[in-house]
Amino acid sequence: MASKPAKARTQAQHTGVFKADSIKDVAEMLSINISDVVATALASDVEYRVHQVVEEAAKFMRHGRRTTIITSDIEQALRVLNIEPLYGHTPHNPPTFRRAGLAYASNNAAAGGAGSGGSVYFIEDEEIDFDRVLREEKIVMPKGVSWTAHWLAVEGVQPLIPENPPAVPRDVDAKIAEVKTNGLVAAPTVPMMNGIGAKPPPQQQAQAQTQGQAPPLVKQVLSRELQLYYTRLTSSLLPPTADFAKRSAALASLRSDGGLQALLPYLIRWVGEGVVGALKEGGQTETDGKVLEVLMEVVGSILDNKTLFVEPYVCVFFTIDYYLLSRATVAPPTPPTSPVNSPTRLPPPSHSIQLRTISSQTLSGLLTKHSTTYPSLSPRIMKTLLLALISPGKSKGTREGAIRGLIGVGKEAVRKGLVESGGARIVGSEDIAEDEPLSSAVMGALRVLQMKDSLNADESDIEVSRRLRDVLGDYFASKVEGDRMWAKAILGEYMDDT
Amino acid sequence: MSGATPPTQSQSPSVNSPPQSQEQAPNGNDLDHLVLQYLRAKGHTTAEKALLNEIDNGSFDGTVSAEELVKTLAVFTQKPSHPGENALKESNTVLSELSGMGNPPALQTLISNISSIGAEEILTEDPSDKPEGFRELVAWVEGSLDMYRPEFRPILFPIFCHFYLDLIQAGRKDAALQFFGTFAPQLEAAHSATLYHLSTLLLPAHVQNDELAQRFRDEKYFIRISRSGFGLLLGWLTEGIGGEAMGAGHGFYGEKGKRGRVTVMQVVNNHLRFDVTSSSSASVPPNTWEESTGLTSSLIPHASGTQSKIYNPQAFNLSKGDLKLGPAPISEELRAETERVAREKAMLDGVPPTQYDISLARPQMLPGMIAPTEADMPSLPPNFKFMDVEREVGAIRDARKRIRLEPSALNALDPASPQASAIRARALPSICAYTLHDVPEGAPCCTFSQDTSLMAAGFAESYIRLWSLKGEKLRGLRSDFSATAIRDATSLRKIKEKKGSSTRKLIGHSGPVYSVDFDPLGGSAAPPKYLLSASADGTSRLWSMDTMTDIVAFRGHENPVWDVKWSPLGVYFATASRDRTARLWSTDRTTCLRIYAGHLGDVDCVRFHPNSLYLATGSSDWTARLWDVQRGSCVRVFLGHQGSVSTLAISPDGRYLASAGEDLAINLWDIGSGKRLKKMTGHTASIYSLAFSAESSLLLSGGADWTVRCWDVKSAGGVSSKRDTSTSGNTNNPSIRKFGEEGSIESTTDMISMFPTKRTPIINVQFTPRNLCLVGGIYQSSEAR
Repeated sequence: MASKPAKARTQAQHTGVFKADSIKDVAEMLSINISDVVATALASDVEYRVHQVVEEAAKFMRHGRRTTIITSDIEQALRVLNIEPLYGHTPHNPPTFRRAGLAYASNNAAAGGAGSGGSVYFIEDEEIDFDRVLREEKIVMPKGVSWTAHWLAVEGVQPLIPENPPAVPRDVDAKIAEVKTNGLVAAPTVPMMNGIGAKPPPQQQAQAQTQGQAPPLVKQVLSRELQLYYTRLTSSLLPPTADFAKRSAALASLRSDGGLQALLPYLIRWVGEGVVGALKEGGQTETDGKVLEVLMEVVGSILDNKTLFVEPYVCVFFTIDYYLLSRATVAPPTPPTSPVNSPTRLPPPSHSIQLRTISSQTLSGLLTKHSTTYPSLSPRIMKTLLLALISPGKSKGTREGAIRGLIGVGKEAVRKGLVESGGARIVGSEDIAEDEPLSSAVMGALRVLQMKDSLNADESDIEVSRRLRDVLGDYFASKVEGDRMWAKAILGEYMDDT
Repeated sequence: MSGATPPTQSQSPSVNSPPQSQEQAPNGNDLDHLVLQYLRAKGHTTAEKALLNEIDNGSFDGTVSAEELVKTLAVFTQKPSHPGENALKESNTVLSELSGMGNPPALQTLISNISSIGAEEILTEDPSDKPEGFRELVAWVEGSLDMYRPEFRPILFPIFCHFYLDLIQAGRKDAALQFFGTFAPQLEAAHSATLYHLSTLLLPAHVQNDELAQRFRDEKYFIRISRSGFGLLLGWLTEGIGGEAMGAGHGFYGEKGKRGRVTVMQVVNNHLRFDVTSSSSASVPPNTWEESTGLTSSLIPHASGTQSKIYNPQAFNLSKGDLKLGPAPISEELRAETERVAREKAMLDGVPPTQYDISLARPQMLPGMIAPTEADMPSLPPNFKFMDVEREVGAIRDARKRIRLEPSALNALDPASPQASAIRARALPSICAYTLHDVPEGAPCCTFSQDTSLMAAGFAESYIRLWSLKGEKLRGLRSDFSATAIRDATSLRKIKEKKGSSTRKLIGHSGPVYSVDFDPLGGSAAPPKYLLSASADGTSRLWSMDTMTDIVAFRGHENPVWDVKWSPLGVYFATASRDRTARLWSTDRTTCLRIYAGHLGDVDCVRFHPNSLYLATGSSDWTARLWDVQRGSCVRVFLGHQGSVSTLAISPDGRYLASAGEDLAINLWDIGSGKRLKKMTGHTASIYSLAFSAESSLLLSGGADWTVRCWDVKSAGGVSSKRDTSTSGNTNNPSIRKFGEEGSIESTTDMISMFPTKRTPIINVQFTPRNLCLVGGIYQSSEAR
């Protein structure tokens, strides 16, 4: 603090901050006439006194652990110097100084004056309209002081968390948020998340240009054996060949072998990239479907492996799953009447349905295993799926995936999605062919609800069918109406309410 | 004066310096006679006797005689009756004396020149001689050889100050301002605070009333210089030769030059005191020349009984003898009981009793340390309580589970080696940062209890806030109960408040709360029972953590109390205040027990030595002192900061004192000898808090530059040869101030690591007994002020 005024003063040195003129001005205000000599001497003295106060105030600033002097410091300084404090200044409401207008300046010049060119400032006295203040101004209570704790360093390493300064790579939560907002995921960058500078093995480096870390680090993180294992494993799985035995052996190893923890980030990244790669390529071919199938099997195997600690990556698995569910068929615009007319362009329906079923199963497995450690996981998944199901403009494939996902999440989710949020109605209102996978998915979901059997059958059929139409829409209502028990099960809670 | 210095004819001082010192030796005896004659003539009988004694005792050996002579002369040419006046004013007498002494011809010519002009006139009339003389001096210093420049530079500052004060005193404000404007910038790097203060003095009345100005006037400015350097300085003063900057022309050959030289000499005679060291200028590191120099005599207390002034802090520290820095003794009963309980604990835990040995928790006696006996200790309650045993056992447990930090392992570390990260992890601490948000006017202090269950912060709005870090409810006692109904612990529990939250506001002070401290009695085994706070309202207050109310207000300081600290054994505590004293209190009395007076500025911080026999204080007079708690006397003084001392820490092993100052440096002192071990720089703004790890091997600091830094206590330190710009960090912090000639602060090599935070000035750093580090800071949102 002290150095700043000192530096400022070296320029102002020859004149002094306080001019004799201002002393004279003050004297005139009190209608005293003083000579120039006296005014100069007084100006010097005033300056000295002001500096005394400032030095004292600087002490209060330092002990207040601040680097700026605030008005209360001056107030305290005046108090200890036994001078009456200047009341009415608070740091919250700094006085605004206005420069005196031209009128004053010309006056001054005309007076021949003192013409040192120094401008005059005054404190603006704001006029306050009481009525307006009473009517409009809402006084907001300041938020109370609160504290947060975070690790500034863990054994000398500063963790890359948002609380610490250098911009942090996106962490898991940010990724989920991204999924929520645009329903699109970039290639999962899992290895970045573990923060120790892991880097994909050599054959993937080309794809990972974004990471600017030194390659030698990898060799320390992954042993040679693991690298070899990784290469063998990935090459035996992809591209999908007819060598079924080899593939199943690889999957079995992945399912049961211990000591693969170090490989986990790489495997997840590999899967993620594979999924994205397969789905991105415009025309989906037979092989793409197969690739996806294999990859899902890999995911299943990883999750089955008891020795792997997958919890940090659960969100990533979910992302992959969701991606598959929503994007597995980028259905070309086909006329509703001839859904199977262009078999060359469409992926075999068997593949997409199978994929969605598998991923929905994976999802449900994930949830049952990890919802205890991630209590917020299933609500978040629900929300994302609902969004995909309900919001307008989504493709049929996405809708179907969302429904299959809901099946995976559980019965309650299906009820919530299809019945309470009106998912079925929305799907039904769109053009749908009888044998389209979407339709069958909905029916499958509704069938899930059938299991419920606490029913009393004394409601009138008309009432049931009316309500059914309300919640499911005409299309699916007509399909369900035939089976009364089923319909009641679907309506279950609604009926209870009435 | 300067009779022994042979006229140097060459422009290069380095060539001539070795022969000079050689020549001085044989001259010794002749000089003694000269001096004696001179003194006799002037009637300084006491000085004469003293000199005779010294000669007789043989301590006055020939090699030192030249300097001693100059010193003696410098003291005695000054008229005792008019300390501010110059002896040379009585030019005639002085001149005749000097010429009668058989000075070397060069000096005589100078004198004769002066006399022809009229010394009187030179010294009083023309203000331009001062800027002129200073300009010449600067040119000479800057033109000197590299090896001498560091030791000549410190001379500039006192002469500058005296010239400025002289000009102001003479009422020549304009000349003074011009002088200041011309020369202040080059001195600003090291002396900005003092310069700023001087610049505020504008009238003779200010000079007379201002404390710093008076100190300059009345005290000698202490300067350390090597023998050869001193010879060169004298040579220049008398001859005006040697070491002008290139193109500076003919130095002092003009009339003006002579006058300027005389004015410089005048200040040198009257206000400077040289400590001529025997070490050669090359062997001393450049920055140590300014160490413990300056207006030191009043900073160092008088030795008991005598009135003689001491200029060298080392002399004072030595005169105070050895200190008892060993760990405090533990009473036999407490030790036995603790051992018994510890053994039981060991049985329960199923570990061998050696792991629960009491010696684990007691600080080790280091060789050469004297341990205090029980008789040395301040009086404490005679019986130990259950809580004491709990605390001691807790300390053993902590010692067992402690994270050991070994920063020394980093020294030999090869960053490429595979174990590098493991070693780093072992050497460096884990730091948990507690950040306060939405603090409107600032929180000057914050602290954590030793068992980390509570955090307290004092606020500028005069209140203290407590938080339970474990999320428990903080419940006090109700006030509506009848005292007769209280019989045992259960009935006491009944009158606890029903509701409570995990935070609590303590209201009582009427000014900003500058310091809070939890009582240490519970140790890490139990939550603290009391909290002390110090405030700008001049009181310190004791708060009970049972009732959550204020129990005692300790009044005594009429001024803001800056700091309060518990003694490590409880019962006693110390406060530091703006009234320039530190005081010792005990919780059962409302008046203070001891007053530690002697600092020339505010006492900014206090810390107890771990054995509670000594108290360290840091002050705005740029010094730190160590006091004997019971006798109330100052036993060590630590000179070396170039700004007020903002915080202190004493290592748990009792050996080191670390002090941080507004000069942005951390100094590490050896308490036993009072010597500075090293200076650690790197912070770019004020340092607010320091803490030693439990093994005293690691020092942590936090400050206004939003960083926490770790320092290796044991390593040698020093500025690294290569510039490391990457560590400067946080360059966008507006409060960073420029320091040093290079414009940025170089981190010394003993800084192990730096952890920046997000806009959070760190106001407290602390180690838990298990060596986890806790830091507290206040988040400053970017739009605030």
